[in-house]
Amino acid sequence: MLLAANSHLTSPDYIVILLYLAITIGIGIAIGRKVKTGSDFFLGGRRLPWWAIGMSLVATDIGGTDIIGVGGAAYSHGLAVANFEWIGCIPAMIVGAFIFIPFFYRTGVYTIPEYLERRYNAGVRTVMAICWLLFMACNLGIMLLASAKMMSEVFGWNQPVCILVTAVLVGAYTCVGGLAAVVYTDMIQCTVMIAGCLLVLVLGIIEVGGIDELKNRLAEVEARQAATAMEVADAESPPVAIDTDRPLERTSLILPADTKSPFPWPGIFFGLALILSPAYWIGNQAIVQRSLGAKSDFEAKASYIWGAVLKNIIPLIVAVPGLIALALLPDLESGDVAIPALVNRLLPVGIRGLFVAAFLAALMSSVDSYLNSAATIVSNDFYKRFIDKDVSDERLLTVGRVTTAALVVWAVIFAFILTLMSEKSGVYAIFQTLMAFFQGPAFAVLLFGFLWKRATGTAAFIALLCGIATSVSLYTLNQKVIYTLLGWEPLFRVEEPFLYFSIWAFLVTSTLIVIISFFTSPDSEEKLKYVYHRAKLPNEFDNAAKGSVV
Amino acid sequence: MSPLHHIGQTIREALMAIPLSGVRVLFVGSLVALLIWVLRLPNSETTPPGGAKRWDENLKLGASLALILQIIVYSFL
Repeated sequence: MLLAANSHLTSPDYIVILLYLAITIGIGIAIGRKVKTGSDFFLGGRRLPWWAIGMSLVATDIGGTDIIGVGGAAYSHGLAVANFEWIGCIPAMIVGAFIFIPFFYRTGVYTIPEYLERRYNAGVRTVMAICWLLFMACNLGIMLLASAKMMSEVFGWNQPVCILVTAVLVGAYTCVGGLAAVVYTDMIQCTVMIAGCLLVLVLGIIEVGGIDELKNRLAEVEARQAATAMEVADAESPPVAIDTDRPLERTSLILPADTKSPFPWPGIFFGLALILSPAYWIGNQAIVQRSLGAKSDFEAKASYIWGAVLKNIIPLIVAVPGLIALALLPDLESGDVAIPALVNRLLPVGIRGLFVAAFLAALMSSVDSYLNSAATIVSNDFYKRFIDKDVSDERLLTVGRVTTAALVVWAVIFAFILTLMSEKSGVYAIFQTLMAFFQGPAFAVLLFGFLWKRATGTAAFIALLCGIATSVSLYTLNQKVIYTLLGWEPLFRVEEPFLYFSIWAFLVTSTLIVIISFFTSPDSEEKLKYVYHRAKLPNEFDNAAKGSVV
Repeated sequence: MSPLHHIGQTIREALMAIPLSGVRVLFVGSLVALLIWVLRLPNSETTPPGGAKRWDENLKLGASLALILQIIVYSFL
């Protein structure tokens, strides 16, 4: 690769990388020696401290895809991508901390689909479990591929070897140590990740000449690109008046509704802040699971608040480097190569090891979490629910470990399949589109079940399927080959309109839940204990958990 | 043009009529409303069972800090 020239690592780099890997894997395996039951494996024995969970939440949310993808999106579209880490996380984390998370904790469930069965029925649980499993399994492949691309481009390493080595290392400690190993290694990974990315940020700002100079250069780039666009437009159509009041899109968080970037404010506010973000922080199994492993419901709340405080600094270290890359290297062929190119330019030989460790930390912290959560869903929502209801806790531990190993193999295969497709679209867009298909409907079902006692299981099941179908239909109708065939204009004017998919799917699902619920019989009192205002007593849930089928 | 396009166009025009200064008020106002909600939560929801023994055991502090930083960010960027 072009970028790999002059980017060989030296001995100190390798020492830093190997030290980081040795500590991480050593801790993971040491913790694994204490894992004796399924509860230890899936929920860390419910002994995890809030400060470790909070850092784990942040580390899990920031993966290798984010370091490349968010930085790349910032390079292509500007600072607005930071909305995903700010208003797209923090408000939902705080609402989740005080309302949803302690409630889930007190119900004693292992998974969000399990909660949905208690509140609705087995159908809703199964659909959600399938959706999450598909998403996590695909996402594992995406994360491995993103990391391999980065390592291949910056360090000239062999891409297939990178995929294999990462999968084996993460798979080893996740398989042995379960959630506790994931959370404690995430804590180290969070620290390493922040330190490494901070280094790129600081060196980048120094290289550009300060923050004011960065703003000036971004304004120049935007003006140059606007002039080029105008020249193209002039050649094809009559002149259009320029709105001089429009903000500079590269450095603004709030973009107009008619922006060409994928982040117009209606999508950010209604799609991200009100739907996708709460769906992720309140309904994402990989995220919620670690808080269910806390020592108490108070510590579960505290972990989310601590995570929200930490989240404030994340855009500075993952999005701003993309802007620095734009200022320093404005003519790259795509956003996906912006961060690798920046690292290649900024970090001297001998220090790259810290950034590689940071990147590996971000990657591993996400891969281990998705591995563990996907294994939890397979073990609890499929094996225990449909194959062996009386399975012992020890047997469930074995199932969890075998599933983890199988998922590692699948992730490697999927990553290799993706290498054939990823050139056509940004890695981040693929990730977001996968989430947008079912996150909106999933959140609607969860929210109505949580807050509205009249929502019925039948309504939730039908609405969930229709909501997912809505997302997929909108995505399909917005593909060029389809709308050209129909003789239509594109349905959406923005690039990669995944935020709008989630809004429409959420609205369709919500409307159907309300309408169908009024035409179906209300659920039993047993189900209504899982409505927020109907169940305040922890003891009630303790009894429910003991008497539950699952 | 399908009915979906007409619906989309109507919504797009309505949203474009909102000035960006009004949008900023919406973003910041939502964060301020959330901050007020956090500050008004009863202590039983924000402290450990038995009450906070140290100042940092009240979760209102961390939640408020996170939200105030967000209010500053969305007010100026």
